[in-house]
Amino acid sequence: MTTDSAIAAITETSARPFNPGRRLLLGALLSASAAALVPWALAEPVDNAEQGAFLGVSALLVGRLALEPGLAQRLYDALVAQNAQFPTQASALLAQINERGLTAATLQPALDEAQSPLAPLPRQIAGAWFLGIVGSGENAVCVAYEEALNATIVGDILKPPSYADGAYGSWATKPEGAGHG
Amino acid sequence: MSARFAWRGLLLSAGLLLSSQGHAADVDAAAQIERGRYLATAGDCIACHTVAGGKPMAGGLAVDTPIGPIIASNITPSKSHGIGNYSLAQFSSAVRHGVRADGAHLYPAMPYTAYAKVTDEDMAAMYAWFMQGVAPVNAAPERSTRLPFPFNIRLSMLAWNWLFLDKEPFKGDPAKSVEWNRGAYLVQGLGHCGTCHTPRNALMGEQASKQLGGAGLGTWSAPNITSDVNSGIGSWSQHDLAAYLRTGRSARHGQAAGPMAEAIDHSLRHLTPNDLDAIALYIKSVPALRDPNDSKPVTQWGQAGDRLAELRGVPLPKDLNRMSGAQLYDAHCASCHQARGQGSFDGSLPPLFHNSTTGRSNTNNLVMAMLDGVRRQGAGVGSAGNTDGYLMPAFRQTLSSEQLVSLGNYVQQLYGNPAGKVTLEQVTILRQGGAPSDLIGLVRGSLIVAGLALLLAILWWRRRKED
Amino acid sequence: MAESMNTDFLVIGSGIIGSLAARKLALAGASVLILEAGPRVTRGEIVSRFRNSTRRSDLMSPYPSVPTAPHPIYQPTDSGYLVQAGPYPYPAEYIRQFGGTTWHWAAQAWRNVPNDFRLHSLYGVGVDWPISYADLEPYYQEAEEIMGVSGADNTGSPRKQPFPMEPVIEPYAMRRVRERLAPQYKVVSNTTARNSVGYGGRPACCGNNNCQPICPVDAQYHGGIAALQAEAAGVTIRVNANVYQLEHDAQGRITAALYYDADKKSHRVTAKTFILAANGIESPRLLLLSASSKYPKGLANSSDMVGRHLMDHPSTSLTFDADEDLWLGRGPQSPSSIGTMRDGDFRGQHAAYRLDFTNISRVDGATKDLISRAVFGEEFERQLRFASAREMSLKTVLEVLPDPENRITLSSEKDSMGIPKPQAHYAIGEYTRLGHERAQKDFAAIARLMGGTNLRPSKEGAYANNQHICGTLSMGRDPAASVCNEWGRAHDHANLFFCSTGVLPTCGTCNSTENGVALALRTVDHILAEQGIKPGTAAAAAGAPA
Repeated sequence: MTTDSAIAAITETSARPFNPGRRLLLGALLSASAAALVPWALAEPVDNAEQGAFLGVSALLVGRLALEPGLAQRLYDALVAQNAQFPTQASALLAQINERGLTAATLQPALDEAQSPLAPLPRQIAGAWFLGIVGSGENAVCVAYEEALNATIVGDILKPPSYADGAYGSWATKPEGAGHG
Repeated sequence: MSARFAWRGLLLSAGLLLSSQGHAADVDAAAQIERGRYLATAGDCIACHTVAGGKPMAGGLAVDTPIGPIIASNITPSKSHGIGNYSLAQFSSAVRHGVRADGAHLYPAMPYTAYAKVTDEDMAAMYAWFMQGVAPVNAAPERSTRLPFPFNIRLSMLAWNWLFLDKEPFKGDPAKSVEWNRGAYLVQGLGHCGTCHTPRNALMGEQASKQLGGAGLGTWSAPNITSDVNSGIGSWSQHDLAAYLRTGRSARHGQAAGPMAEAIDHSLRHLTPNDLDAIALYIKSVPALRDPNDSKPVTQWGQAGDRLAELRGVPLPKDLNRMSGAQLYDAHCASCHQARGQGSFDGSLPPLFHNSTTGRSNTNNLVMAMLDGVRRQGAGVGSAGNTDGYLMPAFRQTLSSEQLVSLGNYVQQLYGNPAGKVTLEQVTILRQGGAPSDLIGLVRGSLIVAGLALLLAILWWRRRKED
Repeated sequence: MAESMNTDFLVIGSGIIGSLAARKLALAGASVLILEAGPRVTRGEIVSRFRNSTRRSDLMSPYPSVPTAPHPIYQPTDSGYLVQAGPYPYPAEYIRQFGGTTWHWAAQAWRNVPNDFRLHSLYGVGVDWPISYADLEPYYQEAEEIMGVSGADNTGSPRKQPFPMEPVIEPYAMRRVRERLAPQYKVVSNTTARNSVGYGGRPACCGNNNCQPICPVDAQYHGGIAALQAEAAGVTIRVNANVYQLEHDAQGRITAALYYDADKKSHRVTAKTFILAANGIESPRLLLLSASSKYPKGLANSSDMVGRHLMDHPSTSLTFDADEDLWLGRGPQSPSSIGTMRDGDFRGQHAAYRLDFTNISRVDGATKDLISRAVFGEEFERQLRFASAREMSLKTVLEVLPDPENRITLSSEKDSMGIPKPQAHYAIGEYTRLGHERAQKDFAAIARLMGGTNLRPSKEGAYANNQHICGTLSMGRDPAASVCNEWGRAHDHANLFFCSTGVLPTCGTCNSTENGVALALRTVDHILAEQGIKPGTAAAAAGAPA
């Protein structure tokens, strides 16, 4: 499923300045098996290997959804602000994924079984992308709401709360795509 | 109300059908009354001659003009307080030439210069409806018109009429189609579109060379609706324009608010589809007038966009008057107009780009929509269920003038014509109801000068005589 | 002590009830001052805070507590302001700011059903009200016309005049529920203070699905609007005025209110008549704080009933996946319910209840659930869409009986202003628990009718709270068993009135706001008549279409 906003996210220009000297392609950082999981992401430009690792892990965790570069930067910055080790941990996590051919389904069980110190990372990264929120408790910060990916996933049918469904009565009709059984 | 009296007309005709004598003539009489009602709807008499919550056509509404408020009169067929004693000739003289039965002149807040175009036959039908289809109200409006000197001298209208009143009734153009002529008749006559949409000269007469070229109404602005593709409605199809006149909205073009919304609710949406098509056709033929600021159609400015990256996780400033345009948009506008200004899926909550309100370089209507909202009246208007009231709420109490300036400029820059600017001075004036007019001072000044000149001339002549 | 003020009527609290009482007094020509403990706030700020929140499902996150007028906060950690004495937690939420708590309600504006007034006479439990449904009926109407209430006729509360508006149009999801549950269950549209047409200068609902915590367009009525309407009627509202004590004279007449401003400077306001409208917890707290040598148990408390008979509406719920796509989250949050168990002979044995269907979007909740279960990738997307489309939930709104041991008292702990905190003693009785048990049968049947799978009932023994704080200032005929009379006048103090949900002697099965507003309007009528104040002729439009 690709919604209008996902298309817009893909085609919107990045907020970051273009730095050709340090430009890498995500594809270069991923092993063959990981690359096979996220073919759409291979042309993403990254500034450095750690951000690349974050993008690579993110791509695995969010499936087919697009990663808007400006949002990626803001989430990455927020994650690093909460945890100075995050870049190193993200790189280590990507290395694990590459080495062991991990997928979205097998990643967390593998980390849990190994009692890896990286075990909290997938949930933190997934929470950042899907909810737009980084951190927890008193330290949590909001980075996105409308652009959070959980809004994108259902965006063909639902507006995020506090946004109008439409003029009065628009909610009375069966939504497009509503099915049975 | 009008439905009730159409019903009364029908009952009248039904009852008369039972009588065997002259029933054809009576059916004609009932049809004439119904036609008169329809024409009065086209003329939108009710808009000025009825006060909110008051009895139909009983007057009392104050029409604000640069020279002061003019109170509409009681035009019900009351013999004591209305026009119940008027003959057809007197009715016609009032409506088409601005002269009351007692000989006094009406002020051109009553658009008799437009109604002058109405045919004799249509006048007779309207007369029949006013006399028989409207309930008499035996009470005078609470206020009466009291304008400052010299405008309180109604005879002064004689000179104004000599300059600006063309008493010729409508003459069709045989070279044009029936539909075009019907549209011309309606627009120039009962529709009196030029009363708002044609700019006026210093003496407040319509400028004939600039027909429908757009004019300010003190607060709201009646836009250029000539056939110009950029500044006017030239890029609209006849179908879109007729639909707009019927509903007050058009996807990808804009929506009616303020006085135009009232005109649609009271008058235009009740006209037949053929008449609306005719009006649209005629308007699309009015000579194009272009504002040099309009480098492209006013309905094609802007695109979807947002500043969410600047907003999320950022608290508001302590002084809310310092909120950025993006923060104000988020707090007050985005719920309906959506985070990227794109409006709802079906456009019923309209987008802010490709919207003539933001596409114009004159931002008065943008500010007025924020101050007073978009109010519609009457069943079936707007979306299902919202039969009356505000489609867009008024933000007059919610937003300060500083906030309106920030927000207005944000919306214009991001979604509209970037040449359009909103200033604090503008918002202050619009909030007050418009700029005070120079006209009173101007005319009084001219009278003093003229009077002095006359005095000097008399003295000089007497001096000469003595020699 | 800083400067003094004097007024005819002093109202403490600018919530929906205090503001509408003040407004009615002012429209009749009285001079009215409202002291509001908390700060002024605007809707735009609240909308912005919601979208920037890190806890969007926490209804209180757009309403931070301020140190000069603290209110209970439970997330991310419990601030400890409302001390819990148990045995059962009572985590009441309320807002101390201009407009009070109804900024974040779902606008459920029900009337009681007639038998709610006679619980004791009819069923042998609880107490009777000192008034009947008929006594309150015209004030229900008045409240509904001010607020702009839309509803259907088939909800068990008889009416003489029609609703100001038709019910808000039913969301698709609720229509399917209604169709599939018929004829065994009758699902009705809720009676709500929500516009189905433009009303009071405010637009009709446009489906923001955000009623709680904030309606971004004021399609629903709330205390913030009431407070502005009070000001428009000539009421003065002084914010950041935390009333900490009421003074009285030797005859027991209340003479003055003392309040702290934002700098903790003390001020004194004298008045002829006092109206306490500071919600069902803060009002008894103030009475207890005002203990003196003449009234050692606190004001209005010779009966020792102040703060007692604390009641709310506990809820239990069932969440499940329906067998068709419903897509909750389109339209208002609380559109439909089943009211058949609001009254009946069973009330002699177990609690009555209303069954509420939620229409709150499932998206954020399902997202958190999936992440906690480490569901990622395309599977996440698939499951999120499934949950967003299929998941539905219903809950009970259970009646509790007035129990004197359920009460609000003063804690020995002090708040940030140095004032003793409120303390809650609460327990869920057997009567209510049996009501929940009975409701389980309805839950099971409804799930079956909707082809429900993945049934997730709320934890057994756990009851969610609904913030309908009743009973702590109970009205009644017997001064030994109640705090005020049918007019809300304190038995002990002739010039002290209560306009609050605290006066409700039983809680019924409906959200307490409309009851509280109607009673307050009736109280004001009584005050006006007693004091010979005539209603004014100017500006009497009671929130009618602008």
